[in-house]
Parts: sequence; structure tokens; C-alpha cells
Amino acid sequence: MITVSHLTKRYGDKYALNDVNFDVKKGEILGFLGPNGAGKSTTMNIITGYISYTEGEVKVDGYDIMDNPMEVKKRIGYLPEIPPLYLDMTVWDYLEFVFALKNVKTTDMKEHLQSVIDTVKIDGVKNRKISNLSKGYRQRVGFAGALIGDPDILILDEPTVGLDPKQIIEIRNAIKELGKKKTIIFSSHILSEISSVCDRVIIINKGKIVAEDTPQNLSAKIGDAQRMMIRVSGDKEQAESILESFDSVSNVTCVSSLGDTFDFEFDTKMSNEDKKELFFAFAQNSIPILLQQETEVSLEEIFLKLTSAKEANYESDIQ
Amino acid sequence: MKAIFNREFNSYFTSMLGYVFLSIFLMLTGFLFYLMNIKALNSSMKYMFGILINWALFLLPLLTMRLFTEDRRMKTDQLLLTAPITIKDIVFGKFFAAFGVFLTGMLITLIFPVILSFLGSLPVAETISCYVGFILLCSVILAVGAFMSSITENQIIAAVATYGVLVLMLLMGSMSTYIGNEFIVKVMLWLSPIQRFNDFTLGILNIESIVYYLSLAGLFLFFTVMSFERRRLR
Repeated sequence: MITVSHLTKRYGDKYALNDVNFDVKKGEILGFLGPNGAGKSTTMNIITGYISYTEGEVKVDGYDIMDNPMEVKKRIGYLPEIPPLYLDMTVWDYLEFVFALKNVKTTDMKEHLQSVIDTVKIDGVKNRKISNLSKGYRQRVGFAGALIGDPDILILDEPTVGLDPKQIIEIRNAIKELGKKKTIIFSSHILSEISSVCDRVIIINKGKIVAEDTPQNLSAKIGDAQRMMIRVSGDKEQAESILESFDSVSNVTCVSSLGDTFDFEFDTKMSNEDKKELFFAFAQNSIPILLQQETEVSLEEIFLKLTSAKEANYESDIQ
Repeated sequence: MKAIFNREFNSYFTSMLGYVFLSIFLMLTGFLFYLMNIKALNSSMKYMFGILINWALFLLPLLTMRLFTEDRRMKTDQLLLTAPITIKDIVFGKFFAAFGVFLTGMLITLIFPVILSFLGSLPVAETISCYVGFILLCSVILAVGAFMSSITENQIIAAVATYGVLVLMLLMGSMSTYIGNEFIVKVMLWLSPIQRFNDFTLGILNIESIVYYLSLAGLFLFFTVMSFERRRLR
């Protein structure tokens, strides 16, 4: 459905995108992940024809964005990072304008607009001026604008930023629902969102794709070792040296402490025999294990590993 | 283009701008009409238009200064440029919206010649050519304003830059008298849009002047389209 090959965008001698290749199949939900300034928005702006590129090729449904921009734009509904809203219009007037702008060939405009309004749940504010709406509602009005004309492809640039948790879940469900019929590319800072919604994830950093796979495979590939957490009560150094005495244990870190209780996390592929040994090793040193659990390597960690901790700034990941 | 025109035209009247412009415009034309025609017992409108030009130079950029700047500031240009329409549609839709507000004002002033025709003998040909000439000249002013608004993100800069170009146009006619070289004087007078308006006040609908105005307005609108393209390709 969308083919991006050797896409490069240069500002002067600075590369915003450097040889980016990927394709999106029909009916797929593709997640775009990356730190700020990685090139997510740039890629989306190029696919939608808002800006041009330096080198490469972008094809949507077989049409080249440079040669046939009209055909491409007809097929895409785009929600940019900042929703493009005319604040002086009411929600209904704005959607009517978008309907006319997209030259939609639907006989019943009112019915179409109403169905879009119902999808994003803004029926209560449809006669209000957009300038009086909160950030969450504005975001949804922008989303409604992208849905008008029932395009086959939706490109959503951080559609859940600035929403409260309830709205995030609503939008996320709406995306999932739409994903059954449409091809969707969407970017997000929230990694759990990507893994819950997307069929495939592309991680992009400094204008280059650093990883591309299903969320499950990504976890499996990079975190091939399992991770375990134990909480012990006793001497920290002693506990640490016991853990490190096991061959199957690596990457021991003390993640938190409270009084004389310490939480350790480590990579391990322990068999049950090993676990028994671990238990007795601690018991012999009279350090009781209070809690022991296996944790999966999260997308956050993969993300950090791939983009290096210094550059990734994703402080607002409260999911 | 129709969608853009409708939205833009309506936005002049959902914001105060359209009303403010029309009020000032009608106050001004009304006053000039009273002064130059009623009080002076004169049925020729050319004197009124002669003065009105100078005011139009300062009034019309008010209509165009936010035409494109606002879209860039609010990022709504992202909606327009990713919609299945051409840049030409966007530029023309917006230009004609500003032009439409101006024409609305002109339409109301048509009451003046009607009043004159009752009070005395109206020089019909001269009045018509005055109106045509004035509207054409103003379309050039609006096109200059549209272009200036497309190259900046700031309304004030757009308006001031428009004034800059218009003052240059205004001075072109008067400056030429101080230049010795006869050929340069000729060229400058030929090029000056203000000077050309004199033809129209004499009741002459000169094809050359009409084509000149239309192509000058077209040129600035073309520049506007180019500035959009350039920004996209940057």
C-alpha cells in the first residue's frame, strides 16, 4: 500500500532522513517509534505531500507522490502533530469545510459527518467554537478531520499526546477498530501503546531506521535472556556477590532499596535447579528472599538499547 | 477553490476584520463623495477616486495581511497542502475571498452614481471606466498583499512589506519628473500602476491598461504560488 524506498531529506548538510526504506501492507497498523527529532514527523509529512524530499521514492497505492500527488492525497487522511484547526469555526463548520476541501463524493454529507463525529465521540461539542475546546477535544476534532472522506490510509502523528488516560484509551480503541479496515501509520512516544495497537514497529533514530519487527519479536530478539527480579532483606554487597557467583546470571543491577530491603534485577536463563540453588545460597547467608518474579524485557528497554540512553528523552512515559 | 473561498470569505465576517474594513471603507468613500460631489456640486466621480487611491493603498493591505500568515502560524497550511487540491486553488481561493470583501464595499458605493444621476447628469462612460480602473488597480494591490503575506509568518511584517512595495509604486510616477533621461521617465510612467489609472479617469477603457493591471495582479499571484512551492521544496 505504501512503499518508501531510499528516502533521504537533507536540510543544508544536515540529514533529517537518511536512506529510509520500509513498506506498509494493506490493512496493517504500523507503529513509528523514536526520540524527538528522530524524523518521524518528517517521514509522515513527506508521505502526505506536505514537504518534498531530497532523494528516494514514495509510492502510495502505486502512485508516486511527486508525479501523482492528487491521487495520493485523495487516499490519505492525515492528522499532523498539531491538529490543523481553524479556531474561529465551529466543529461542524470545520468538518463541513474539510468535507468540501477533500471534494468527497458522498451523496449525504450530513450523514457522513455525523458518523465521523460519532466515531471520535465529539457529538456533545459539535456546535461549539473550536477556540473554546480543550486540548483533548481539539485533538479529536483533528482526528475527525482525518477520517472525513473515509480514506483507505490514515497517518496519525502522535494522536494521543496531551490527552487524559480515558481519552487515550478511547482513541486507541478507535484506532484498533479502524485498523480492521484501513492501513494505518501512527507514531507515538508511548511504547506500550505501540505494542498494544500495532502489528509492526519501526524504530527510527537520527533519521535512520534502527529496528523493524513485530512488537513480540523485538522483545524476543533483543531480550533473548529473560529478566528476573528479586527482593531480598539483608546486606547489599553480600547479596550482590551471591548473585554474581552464578554463571547464568548477568547484568545485576540494584533497582531500588528501602531500609535493608533491596530489589535486584538481572538477566538470566535459570533452570529450576538453578533457582533452588539460588534459594539455598541466600538461605545459607541468612538473607531471606521476600519476592521473586520474572519480568519481560520491555519495549522501553529495547528502545533505549537501540537509540542509546543519552539521546532518548521519553520522560513522560507514564503508561 | 470554492471551499477555500467560502471559508476565507466567511472568516472575514466571523472575525471583526471584514466589518472593520467595510466600515472604514464606506466612511471614507461617503465622506469623499460628499466633499467632492455633493458639496462641490460636481457629477464627475473621478476626483473622488483620485483621492481614494491613496487611501486604498493603506486600507487594502489590512485585508491581505493575515491571508497566508495565519495558516502558517496555526499550522492549518498542513491541512490545505495535504488535501487533494492544488496550490493554485489555495492561492486563488484566498485571493478572491479578499477581493470579494473589497467588491462588497464597491458594490455598496454604487449608490453614489445612482444619487448623482437623480441630482444631475451623470457622465456614464467616465463613471464606468473609473470603477473598472479602480477595481483593477485594487486587485493589483491585493495581489501584492497576498504575495507578501505568503512569504512571512508575521501579519505586521506582511502589511509593512506590502506598504513598502505600494509606496514604491506610488513614488514611481512622481519620482519620474526629477529624472533627466526622457526614456527612463517614459518607462517609469508606463510601469507605474498609479499613473495608469489616469487613463481611466478620462473615461478611456484602454485595453493595454486593462491587460497591464490583470497581468501585474497575475504575476504577483504567480509569485505567491511559487513561494508556496519553494517552501515545500526547501
